[in-house]
Formats: sequence, C-alpha cells, structure tokens
Amino acid sequence: MNPRNPGDRRHPLKVALSVGRIQRVDFVAGARAIGPLSPGSFMFGAAFGALIQVGGFNSWVGMSGSVLVMAGASQIAVVESLRIAAPIAVAVLTALVINARFALYSAALAPSYSAFPRRWKLALAYLMTDQAAAIALQHADRYPDPVRRRWFNFGAALSFTLAWYAGTAAGIVLGPIIPPSWQLGFIVPLMFIALVVPTLKHRSEIVAAFVAIAATLLLKDLPLGLNVILGALTGIGVARLVR
Amino acid sequence: MMLFIAFVLAGIGTYLIRISGITLLGGDRELPESVTKTLRLVGPAALAAIVANALLLDGGEWRGFSAWHVAAMVAIVVAIWKKSMGWSLVSGAVSFAALLLLGM
Repeated sequence: MNPRNPGDRRHPLKVALSVGRIQRVDFVAGARAIGPLSPGSFMFGAAFGALIQVGGFNSWVGMSGSVLVMAGASQIAVVESLRIAAPIAVAVLTALVINARFALYSAALAPSYSAFPRRWKLALAYLMTDQAAAIALQHADRYPDPVRRRWFNFGAALSFTLAWYAGTAAGIVLGPIIPPSWQLGFIVPLMFIALVVPTLKHRSEIVAAFVAIAATLLLKDLPLGLNVILGALTGIGVARLVR
Repeated sequence: MMLFIAFVLAGIGTYLIRISGITLLGGDRELPESVTKTLRLVGPAALAAIVANALLLDGGEWRGFSAWHVAAMVAIVVAIWKKSMGWSLVSGAVSFAALLLLGM
C-alpha cells in the first residue's frame, strides 16, 4: 500500500479522463465497510416510504423528503407532526432537534476532512449519516493519504444513501398494497428502538433517554406535539446536571 | 404542500448542521468539552422521546396494551443482547407479525 499515491499528480490527463484504479478500489472498500448496515438503510427507507402512503401524502413529496433531508428519524418526525396537524414551525424544529447530533459528527470529522477540497467537504456533508460518520471515524487512521481517504468515505456514504433512496421508492410503491390491518405504524417506534438502544453506552446517555421518555409522557396533554421536543430537551438538561 | 415546505426547511437546516463542524473547525481546533457532552446526549434523548410518543401514546392518549408493547419489548431485549440495529428491527417486525397473526 503506497500512502502517497503520486501517480495522481504525474498523469493529470489520465485522472481527468477516468477515475483511477486505486480510487475505485478505495470507493469499493468504503461501500464494503458499510455493506452490513446498508440493508437496514433500505428497510428504514421503505418504512418511511410506506408511512408517506399510509398518511395519505403525495408520493413525490415523500421522495423529496429523502433527498432534501436525508435523515430518516427527522423525516418521520416531520410527517408525524404534520399528520397530527402541528404547525410547520414545530415540525421543522422537531426535525432540527433530532438532527442536532450531526453537529457532533461534523466536529468529530473535521480533522479527517480538513485536507479535502471544498466541493468534497460539501458533498460528503450532504451524505453524512449516523452510520457513514461512524465508518469514516473508525477507518480514518487506515487511510493516511487524504485522496484515498476521501474516496473510501465517498464509497461508504454514497452507497448507504443510495440504499436509502431505493428503500424510500420501494416503500412508496408498495405502501398502497399493504392492508391497514398490518398496522404499519408500528414501524415508527420499532425503527427508533433499533436506532437508539444499541447505541446507549454511557450512564449519562441512559439517564437522558429515560428522563426524556418520562417527560414526554408527563407532558402528553401539550398541544402540537410539543411534548416530544420538550421531553428531549428535559432529558438532555437533566442528564447534564447528573454526574 | 405543507409537507414539502417542511422538508425544504428541515433539509436546509439539517445541511447547515452537517456542514458546521467540517467548515468551522479547520483542523486541530476542538469544541469545548461541555458542548461535546451536550451534543452526545441529543441523539439518545430525542430518539427516546419519539419512541415514548409513538409507542406508549396514540394521538396524545395512552395506547391500550397490545402487540405494540410486546413486540417493542422483544426489539429492545434483542437490541441490548445483540447490540445490532438489524437484529432488533428483524426481531421486532417478526414478533409483531406473529402476534397479529395470533389475533393479539
């Protein structure tokens, strides 16, 4: 393995004409690294697509959600908020609270991305997911060369995102075929359980989760779905106070 | 249309969050520890709040005991045991389907 990869500099024409072999290898390695998680991305996407249909929303608008927001938990929160007739501001705010965790990933990835060209940073930021960020952080040391590292990250993040798009489309298409007696709505709590429970490690995280649950339930009579945002913020606040 | 506008706004906001650290923190600078600690709690708290609202409540009222609770319990136990998103999803979905078929 040659970490410097000088071939890129010596043959700029060749690089411009086609993506180099090493870049392709690194791209595939990234896709492989995230591979075991990609079926989950497809299934989660399909669940979101089905939810769009169950909620009676427009299919194209549903698909646009997966392209524009590209963060499943928050997309479902937006759909759920509007389904219970919450104002748009509450729907968007709930989504942003849920996605605030990306700020942490973004900060954590900054040193690894600092050598990337600007357009790569902008593209990889769009493709950032919980899973792609985790893979990028785990493998950063194995790719000291920034060119190889960015192709590895690109392969992981893009393949995971494409699975998300494909899953959403499949869910939207198959949604209407599914009878209401299947109670598809169960997908919402199930996906969030699958997403959050395996990641709970530190005591403060567990405290935050349990306090958030208790507060959300205690505030259940608040209008506009505000109990979710306030429940989450209460969980964060209390967990920060507890040592 | 409301949903599309909400997606556009949430999309813009989410992209700004995603790009924040990558562009603002050029290289070696790090966030203060208090900020990092708070951000680390955002995911667990926000996701747990959604679970509580979608599982234990139904449109602001308590959800009656049903296959939802049992299958969710299965998914939680498997998630803790296997430490895996995939297995948790599969076990929850399979047990939910089985309970519905059994008429619960």
